[in-house]
Amino acid sequence: MSILKNIAELVRENVISQETADKIKNYYNTSEKQTTNKLFVVFGVLGATLVGLGLILIIAHNWDDLSRVTKTIFAFIPLLIGQIMSGYSLIKKPKSAAWIESSAAFLFFAIGLSIALVGQIYNIPGSFNTFMVAWMLLSIPLVYILKSQVVSVFYIVGITYYAVDLNYLTFSRFNKSNSIIYWLLLVLILPNYYLLYKNKPKSNFMVLHNWLLPISIIITLATLMKDHAILIFVAYFSLYGLFYLIGSSDFFKHQKLRNNSYKILGSLGTVILLIAFSFNGFWKELQKENLIFSEVLKSPEFLVTTLITLLGIVLLYFQVKNKSIKEIKPIAPTFLLFILIFIIGLKFAIAVILINILVFSVGLLTIKEGAKQNHLGILNYGLLIITAMIVSRFFDTKLSFVFRGILFILVGVGFFITNYWMLKKRKVNE
Amino acid sequence: MNKKKILLLLFILVALAQLFVPAKMILDREDVLATGKEYKFNVEPVDPSDPFRGKYITLRFKDTRFNNQTDQKWTRGETAFVFFKLDANGFAIIDSVSREKPLNTTDYLKTKIRYNNKVKFLFDRFYMEESKAYKAEMLYKESRRDTSKVTYALVNIKNGKAVLKNVLINGVSIKELVEKQQEIEFQK
Repeated sequence: MSILKNIAELVRENVISQETADKIKNYYNTSEKQTTNKLFVVFGVLGATLVGLGLILIIAHNWDDLSRVTKTIFAFIPLLIGQIMSGYSLIKKPKSAAWIESSAAFLFFAIGLSIALVGQIYNIPGSFNTFMVAWMLLSIPLVYILKSQVVSVFYIVGITYYAVDLNYLTFSRFNKSNSIIYWLLLVLILPNYYLLYKNKPKSNFMVLHNWLLPISIIITLATLMKDHAILIFVAYFSLYGLFYLIGSSDFFKHQKLRNNSYKILGSLGTVILLIAFSFNGFWKELQKENLIFSEVLKSPEFLVTTLITLLGIVLLYFQVKNKSIKEIKPIAPTFLLFILIFIIGLKFAIAVILINILVFSVGLLTIKEGAKQNHLGILNYGLLIITAMIVSRFFDTKLSFVFRGILFILVGVGFFITNYWMLKKRKVNE
Repeated sequence: MNKKKILLLLFILVALAQLFVPAKMILDREDVLATGKEYKFNVEPVDPSDPFRGKYITLRFKDTRFNNQTDQKWTRGETAFVFFKLDANGFAIIDSVSREKPLNTTDYLKTKIRYNNKVKFLFDRFYMEESKAYKAEMLYKESRRDTSKVTYALVNIKNGKAVLKNVLINGVSIKELVEKQQEIEFQK
């Protein structure tokens, strides 16, 4: 480290005292150790994962020439090795993340491998889905006993894959989507998420969980579609609104944007849905939809939409109660406005105009927000929203080419002027 | 007990559960193999694959239809207990299907109703070495041209459970047939 070389010189020249010099040296020594520890964890886990996946691929070859007994023994060896290593880590190295995480990662794959191999030896037909559930259920205790965050990450990926395979990849016109097991499995991992938030809010694993969990929910929310599929769009709107509000909470407010998964997902999700719904097609369909109120009330889509929306409203209330209306970010209350427009849209064609006004206002307010914060990123994000909206209208309105051309030129000029104005403002401030 | 001991105890319990699940799967099947009754089922194989367990051939069973002897209609997904008899050539065909679990015999299969008086046979996967599964399907297609050849699955059944042991074409294991063909190809 270059700073260490300079310290001696700084002491010699009486810039800093010997004591300060020692402190600085100490600081860099410990932080260097932490980085090597992190490297050990990463490589340990990577190694264990690759070996585990490699073993699974090798057994998937189905060795015909081996006897049933030999194959059965092979089913148990990796499992026992994984268990002994994890047991050893738990007793002797409970503080070493490298030991715990690598042995737990290996054990995770060994569990899947042993069930898969037994299934193969005896030609057990059990569907891929039951296999995944058994595997995940046998693995999740490792998250709580060994405190392995890697297994938690694998688990989230595993249950998401399970839900995707069951609902989107396996075509079955008989049993429509069925994800109740996924939601139960998801609940099992939440206590670990909470503990992680309490104990290691700054860790990389926390960031990883912050990304994976909302993505998993976004992917699987659509599996709740039953007979009132159209309501799921409202649920998605509320979900993105909820994510955005979580992302603006005190915990996330001061984190780097790339670590603020909730804000990014919530904001992008909301904007993409807004643009998608600014087309007339959806609203035409909605008017044709013959929703019977009493049946809607009983549908799972309605329940889940209500639940997410209520959560969103509670969060919104706590975040805005001490603020003036000007401080509210434009994306935050969008999900509520959408519900309003959705209800209007059930009967009236005006909804499509309202939603376009909504997109336009969100775009404008975002530009304003960018200007206020002196933030080029936000400013251009707002401009992009408006551009996207105008490009979309390019396809479905009957406006004349000249008019559309003028619109495009105006937006383009808008980009130049706003950015130029902002940069100039910065120079003046400097 | 301190916290570490409790954790260790829990870990041992979890480890036992992790060992128990595959062990139980093995013991159940071994029992059916040792004491279950053997049946031959007429089948057609096709070849797909599973990301974790590898290549297998799926068996399509020829005789899954039964005569509904009860007054009630069967609904899809309903649990059914199936009894078999042998046809003139010694292959298993469905004798009767019942809603109640039989008490006086172990010689029945527990399964689900598919639709229209048809049952599902859940033992429809036969795992093969990755190079062999596709060839096995090809061999079957060739054998189909020769009407004297029959493809059948050898299955042991006991107490509702079934274990698929082997798939044979005219009495020769499909694995052996593929191996023989591979040898011939190798000599060429």
